[in-house]
Amino acid sequence: MALWVCLLFPSLSLDVFARALSPHDAAYPFAVGSDEHPPRIVAANAAARTAGIREGQLVSGALALTHDLVLRERNADAEMRALTQIATWTLAFTPMTCIVPPQAVLADVGGSLRLFGGLQRLLARLASGAPEMGYTSRLGVAPTPEAALLLARAAHAAPVREQADLPAVLEPLPLTLLDMPQATRSMLRDAGVTTFGQAVALPRDGAARRFGHDFVVCIDRALGRVPDPRAPFTPPPRFAGSLELPAPARDIEALGFGVQRLVRDLADWLQARSLGALRVTLTLTHEHALHTRDLPPTVAPFALGAPTRSTAHLFGVLRERLARVVLPAPVEAMTLESNAVTPLAGKNLGLLPGDGPDPVEAPLIDRLRARLGDEAIQRLALHAEHRPERATQIVRGHARLPPAPASLPATLRPLWLLAEPQPLGDIFARSPWILRDGPERIESGWWDDGDIRRDYFIADTADGKATAWIYRDGRHGLDGGDWFLHGIFA
Amino acid sequence: MAAALAPLLVHPALWRGDDLAPQPAALPSGFAALDAVLPGRGWPQDALTEILLEREGIGELRLTLPALVQLAARHRDIVWIAPPYQPCAPALAAAGLDLARLYVVTCKVPQDALWAFEQALRAPRCGAAFAWLPTHDDRVLRRLQVAARDGQTWGVLWRRPGERGSATTAPLRLALAREEGQLAVHVLKRRGTDLAHPVRLALDGRMPPRPRNASDIPWQVHETA
Repeated sequence: MALWVCLLFPSLSLDVFARALSPHDAAYPFAVGSDEHPPRIVAANAAARTAGIREGQLVSGALALTHDLVLRERNADAEMRALTQIATWTLAFTPMTCIVPPQAVLADVGGSLRLFGGLQRLLARLASGAPEMGYTSRLGVAPTPEAALLLARAAHAAPVREQADLPAVLEPLPLTLLDMPQATRSMLRDAGVTTFGQAVALPRDGAARRFGHDFVVCIDRALGRVPDPRAPFTPPPRFAGSLELPAPARDIEALGFGVQRLVRDLADWLQARSLGALRVTLTLTHEHALHTRDLPPTVAPFALGAPTRSTAHLFGVLRERLARVVLPAPVEAMTLESNAVTPLAGKNLGLLPGDGPDPVEAPLIDRLRARLGDEAIQRLALHAEHRPERATQIVRGHARLPPAPASLPATLRPLWLLAEPQPLGDIFARSPWILRDGPERIESGWWDDGDIRRDYFIADTADGKATAWIYRDGRHGLDGGDWFLHGIFA
Repeated sequence: MAAALAPLLVHPALWRGDDLAPQPAALPSGFAALDAVLPGRGWPQDALTEILLEREGIGELRLTLPALVQLAARHRDIVWIAPPYQPCAPALAAAGLDLARLYVVTCKVPQDALWAFEQALRAPRCGAAFAWLPTHDDRVLRRLQVAARDGQTWGVLWRRPGERGSATTAPLRLALAREEGQLAVHVLKRRGTDLAHPVRLALDGRMPPRPRNASDIPWQVHETA
């Protein structure tokens, strides 16, 4: 049986900005104004409300109340993206989710009650999830989607599970909670029909003629008298989450909180699509101050060693990556994008407590790469090449190690090689070195300008205290070439 | 009486003053003579080991290779931080090391190297973290020691020749030198009693022997005019 949960976000227009900062950092009065003329306050945070700012007030009036009010213009696109993100998150609870703009997400949880241990537990998770993402939410639960929406708007917290109970619960609700054109609204008011119960009591045919077919259908759908098909929400094929900061941030530490929010959104999206991220990009947009008009955004791409959708892992590497970013100007907005993803199967939960998966931690190498850069992390591979300096291939980044050649050099090689062979000069004139083995002639590379012709020896230093790999350069004749130190038998 | 005591004396919870301190399972070094003098019979898997070198090129890295090979075979990562020279892949592969497990970290800034070392020591999947760093700051070393303990990682802090050898907090300190053609391991500090004599190890069967007499020397090198 269908059971719809409506998640209503009454302060969504405020939350899309405010969630970028931790509540502690955002203690200043902050409000969002509409884009109509003259602009009015759409939503205000607690500090602004304390200062006397209310919804519907003129912005000019609000500014007169507090001089330090931070004001942003309402961003409908960001609100829609937020609803998309929330709907993506609810897919973790049910496959049937839909968005009701401008402020609500509906989810049919009828089929997932048992999986989540009953309605109370599921509601608790839904109710705590939204604040964790930075949204203030209100729940409404009813057997029909329209009724769930109405209950959420009416702040009727008690879930209604039976369709038979609906008429009694909906009866006292004001009709203003319904979505309908302004004309219908005023017509109903003029006719003295103000509550849901009164509307239900009207003769159907007459009501349909006077107030429109849609109105009657809406009432019928709320009561479950006619089916209410909804198009199920599908998560977007690509993830691009962005956050606009209420006020520009000057230092990188202030961004951490917002980045964490975006990482969580990304993890929810990956979860909904059963994917793991391979490459992500964080883009920081800078304030458009006069002197920085042409400043390009700071882009921090990052690749992961293995596909993941763990929030801890993703945030762990992004935090290190952020530590390397130098901000040329204050940051106004940030965007997190997934550039490459790959299917990633879910993990089975442990049977016994303490049997669960290991504590998630960003793997070491990802963290090192994030902080020090790809260049700093080398891996070594064998290369089929006679020249000793080219027999070790250095692999950087995430490239796979090339397959090992079939054979290794038959003779002994030192563990350390010098970056550049070091001329031994007249060292031998003062005290002779003792050759243990050699010569091993290596003559190669005439085709690529790396021509060498060397006689290698394993030799002890004159005092016998250390063993090195030295060669005599034979490019200019075999006797009389210079001696070089090339390796150390560490 | 002695017979009755015997089973008690081998109990791991009982420590006798004349013995090495009981240790959690250590990593066999591959050299029986060395294992015999190391607490826990091998390299400590949860602590920092400090190794001082008289010279480079005496087999110092070969001393650690058997243990690294084992770790790599068990799919534990090996991280080398700021090595003084370029590691040579054919030599490592010839020793049996799985190169896919080895990561070499090169840092421009010493702070980054220290950070990387600490991260590696702390990482549970990392089996061994070697660093060639000239750090002597006690607080830093203690931090590294804690990281190694938390991450169950064998950490080695290499001291290049000529570096000041001040006493540090590392629970195991070794000094390596070549004596009579062999690698001599002086145990400067360990958990348990002091060790008076160095352990001499013959490292590599493949290394050609050092000529004994002048007549055996295939070729003595002199500067040729």
